[in-house]
Order: sequence, then structure tokens, then C-alpha cells
Amino acid sequence: MSHSIHLKLAFLGAALALSACGKPEVTPLNSTLTEAPAVQACGRITVANMNWQSAEVLAHIDKIILTRGYGCEVELVPGDTMPTLTSMMEKGEPDVAPEAWINAVRQPLDAAVASGRLHYAAQALKEGGIEGWWIPKYIADANPGIKTIDDALLRPDLFPSTESKGKGAIYNGPAGWNAQLTTANAFKAWGAAEKGFVLVDSGSAAGLDGSIAKAYERQQGWLGYYWAPTSILGKYDMVKLDAGVPFNKAAFETCNTKIDCANPVKSDWPKAEVFTVVTERFKKAGGPAYGYLVQRSWDNDTVNGLLAWMSDNQAMGEDGAMHFIRNQPALWTTWVSPEAAAKIKASL
Amino acid sequence: MTWINEFPQMGDEQLRALRQTIDGAFRTFSRNYGEALERLFDPLRDLLMFSERLLTQSPWLAVIGVIALIAWLASRSPKIVIGTVLTLLAIGYFGMWEDTMKTISMIFVSTLLALALGLPIGTAMSRWDSLQKSVNPALDVMQTMPSFVYLIPVVMLLGIGRVAGMIAVVVYAIPPVIRFTNLGIRLVNKDLLEAADAFGASTWQKMTQVQLPLALPTIMAGVNQTIMLSLAMVVIAAMIGVQGLGQPVLKSIANQYFTMGMLNGLAIVGIAIIFDRISQTYGKRLQKHLEVVHG
Repeated sequence: MSHSIHLKLAFLGAALALSACGKPEVTPLNSTLTEAPAVQACGRITVANMNWQSAEVLAHIDKIILTRGYGCEVELVPGDTMPTLTSMMEKGEPDVAPEAWINAVRQPLDAAVASGRLHYAAQALKEGGIEGWWIPKYIADANPGIKTIDDALLRPDLFPSTESKGKGAIYNGPAGWNAQLTTANAFKAWGAAEKGFVLVDSGSAAGLDGSIAKAYERQQGWLGYYWAPTSILGKYDMVKLDAGVPFNKAAFETCNTKIDCANPVKSDWPKAEVFTVVTERFKKAGGPAYGYLVQRSWDNDTVNGLLAWMSDNQAMGEDGAMHFIRNQPALWTTWVSPEAAAKIKASL
Repeated sequence: MTWINEFPQMGDEQLRALRQTIDGAFRTFSRNYGEALERLFDPLRDLLMFSERLLTQSPWLAVIGVIALIAWLASRSPKIVIGTVLTLLAIGYFGMWEDTMKTISMIFVSTLLALALGLPIGTAMSRWDSLQKSVNPALDVMQTMPSFVYLIPVVMLLGIGRVAGMIAVVVYAIPPVIRFTNLGIRLVNKDLLEAADAFGASTWQKMTQVQLPLALPTIMAGVNQTIMLSLAMVVIAAMIGVQGLGQPVLKSIANQYFTMGMLNGLAIVGIAIIFDRISQTYGKRLQKHLEVVHG
């Protein structure tokens, strides 16, 4: 807004100067436009701000680095895995999904990449995301016998359900997440219903987090789906149950991730591959900014630590991103060009 | 002169300390009293489970029969009864019977609770102006505060599931009952009250035999609004694990299952229209009856 006003004023000034003395006096015009080439190199880009914490803070880090280091005009748009990636595949918008958990959308996404509409940039989480069934550490400590999912299923009394008396509860992933299907199918594959458990729909990530926080504050039993890196795991000590079986790729891809899977089999969760996905338009227009997104990758410890700091300080994605930029230059300077690093440091 | 351009806000540090203190206090409260509060809500949880089992485990023909009978008793309109039965049949045919029953059970119990709390509060407000002045802003807050703001603390206290969902529904849906009860009683003709005084009616007699009966049509309008608002909360309640039509709606939003979302959305609309028509015609019938007596 202010840019366009400045521009208009500059034009007005130039026009007045021209008409007044007939001598082209164009310095104000030039001075406003000197910044323009840098802006045009990157232009206006939209970055998906996914609705879970690690993706949110990464989106804000991208915003800070792209704005201050590469002169992009960044707009964050709220998103979620399926809607955002579908929109990127179909419409080419938004330009960047900083942290896309692609296991669930593998096939259409690979097709879009093969046809050149989308591109994988960096592997956003170096080690990948970890999914599975977790229990609080105090339960694991008090019951050292519980190591695997099978062990836990022998003790419905440790994980009591509030709504079905005398049964154990397994908390399912948020509605609409692929995790909801894999957990429901694992529930079937492990025969949890016969062992006295009910599957509890958590409805949303907020609901799932709330149920963990409630159990933890009162040191009650909790068993359910969760994933790392997350602030909940930074804040509350949880132990991932061993599936007891390896990852069964064929069964997982053809049946366990499907809603109408007739005979789900026991399988560990695959390590989730987490990439930054960008559109063809941005790859072409972004220039050096695309180079940054190809480099940017961090490990789960860094993320867990940052998220735990955010939780402790009640920080939002923006505050968390600033905290990271201020305190860990050793990491982020390896992602950006030296000029960009200098610009960002100067702006702090 | 920076304070002219930049708002002189509280320091980041103090603000953070404030938030942490309040959160910490709430956590301590939840740790100490959460268990007891949960016990307090046990009867409601049992009622919810009972009504849900009743609706989902009874034979579908019996459920449709009873709902049709209620529709007939309330409306005495063959058109509404036929419409009700057809809507329920269509819902069942498209495979949404169980979810719909869970939602109806939830709405039913929430409405009962809203009435049980709302009628006395509304009546009290009509008697004492000072109470009206203090309750009205509270009702405004309840209707405009984004639900998740208070849902997460509720989940911390009571866990996810039906009870927390019901609290969300009741908080959002109770204001119309309170407001309309208050309004209905205040609108009762003063002459009639004088007449009642002249017959030597006590305050209690005036309330139960003159004011409440005359206010009933207005109160029914409030009940109608309460039912509609509680249906509007179905999807929000699903976000904290309430079973019913909200769950498939959430799933289809996240996965862009257009048809599935539409069908479940239409099922919510369908039961909304059923409840709306039944309670509206019942309200109208009450009014007609009163007009004959006093007209």
C-alpha cells in the first residue's frame, strides 16, 4: 500500500517538475524504483501455513528469511495437508508448502512432480516424521513390562475409557487425517476390540492434545496415536510403543491406509517423509529464493527443542521463528547465500 | 513521541508472565479439582449414553414410529408427519442412520439441559431487573466467544467426548431460551396481572397460572431457536470427539470428499427442518388455543 502511494507521489512530483520548468527532474522517480529489481527477482509468493506447530514455525522462518534475505513479498495462507496439496496440484496455489507429510498423498503428488507442475525442494525434516502409538513415560516406568503394542493391549485397566465403563481407550488421530485410517486399521489388525478396548475419535489435533494434557496433569493412563516432532512430545515425556513387527510396505500402501481395508495386517508405521513442495511457477520465478528452499532442512531434536521453548513461553509461530533466527545462526546461515545472510543479520 | 504511532502496549515480558501465571493456575486447578468435577458430570454422561443407546439400538422402525408419533402430537399436521418419516427414511437409505441417531440424541439431551437451566434463569430475570442487567452481557459473551477458546480448558477438565461437547453446545444454544422466557413473561398484559391480584393470587400462582402459560408461545420460539443453534454446533462438537454427523463432515472437509460432506450436511439440515417445523407448529397451536380463550 505505502509503496504504491510513494510511487504515485513520485510520479506526481515528476509531472509537476516537468510542467513547471520544462526540465526533466527525475531523481525522485529513480530513487523509488531502485528497490524494484530486487523485489521482482522473487516477487509475491504465498506460503502454506499448515495447522500444526512444527509446520507453523517453519512457515514463519521461511517468511522471515524470504522477506529479509531475498526481498520476496510473502503471504502466509492457512492450510492443511490434503486441501493445500490438492490445491497446489490442481491450481498451482499456494506456491510453497514448507512441511508436507507426503506419505498419504504419494501417488497423485508423484504424478504432479513427474508432469512438472510441482517440485520437491528440501527434505524439510532430515530424519523424517515418526508416527505410532504412544503412552506416557510414568506409565511405562511403572509397568516396565509394557514395551510393545501387544503388551499394552493386555492391560485395558491401565488406560481406562471414560465413556465405556470397564474398557480401555485408544485415542485415534484427528478426523480426516490419514492417521485416523491407519490407527483404525491397526486397531482391527491387533484385535484390540476383543482385548477390551474401544477406539475413541479425537476429532481434531486440538482435541487429541487436550486429552493428552488432561491425562498428564492428573497422571492418568493414556494410549493413542501421536507423532513427532511436536511440542506435546517436547513438553510431556511420552514413550513410543514398539509395533513388534516391521513395516509391511505392500500391506500398508494397499490396505492399511485405505478406508475400506477388509483385512488390515499388523505393520509398523513407515518413517514419514517430510518434504518442502513448491510449484513450477515459484521454481522458475523464485530464483535464489528457490535455492534456499532446496537447502533448508533440520533435525527432530532442533525442532522438538524449539517447540518446547515455544510452549514454555506461550510463543506463536512468529515468535518461535524469531527466537530461532536470533539464536541459531550457525544452522540457518548454512541454508542461505552469504549476501542473504548478511541482509537478514543486518535486519535483526 | 513514539507512543503516538505505536500503541503503548504492555511489555512482552509482563504479558508473557501474565499468560503463564493464569495458565499455571488453571493447570493446578485442573490437577486438584478435575477429578471431582468429572464425577459431578457423571449423571449427565450416563444420561447421554443412555439416550444414545436407546436411539441406536432400538429397531429403526420403532424409532421412526416414535418420532412420527411425537411429530403428530405436537403438530397435528399430516404433512409434517409424512415429511418427517420421508426425511428419516432417506437418511437411513443413504447409510447415515447411526450417525444421525447419535446427533439427535446429543441435541435432545442438550436441549433438555438448556431448558432445565434456561427456564428458571429466564423467569428470574423477568422478576429482577438487576439480574437482567448482569445476565445479558454474559449471554452476549456466550454467543460470540469462539467456541474453541473455552473448549480446550473444558477438555483439560473433563476429557474429550460427549460431556465436553454437550457443554459447548449448551453454552452456545442456551441464550435464546433465557432471552425469550424473560421477554415472554415481561410481555404479559399488566391488566391480566391486576385481575389476578384482584382474585388474591399469590406470586407463585400468578407465575405458574398466568404469566408462564401466557408466555408459552414466546418461550416455544426460544426453544425452537435453541434447537437450531445446537444443531449448528454439531461440527464444532465433533472436533472434540463427539460422535455423530459431525465426524464424517470433518473427514470430508479434510479429504475433499465432496459428496460425503454434502450428504452429511444435508442430513443435519434434514433433522433441523424436522425439529423446526414440529416445534414451530406446536408453538402456533399453543397461541391459537390461547387466542380462542381470551379472544
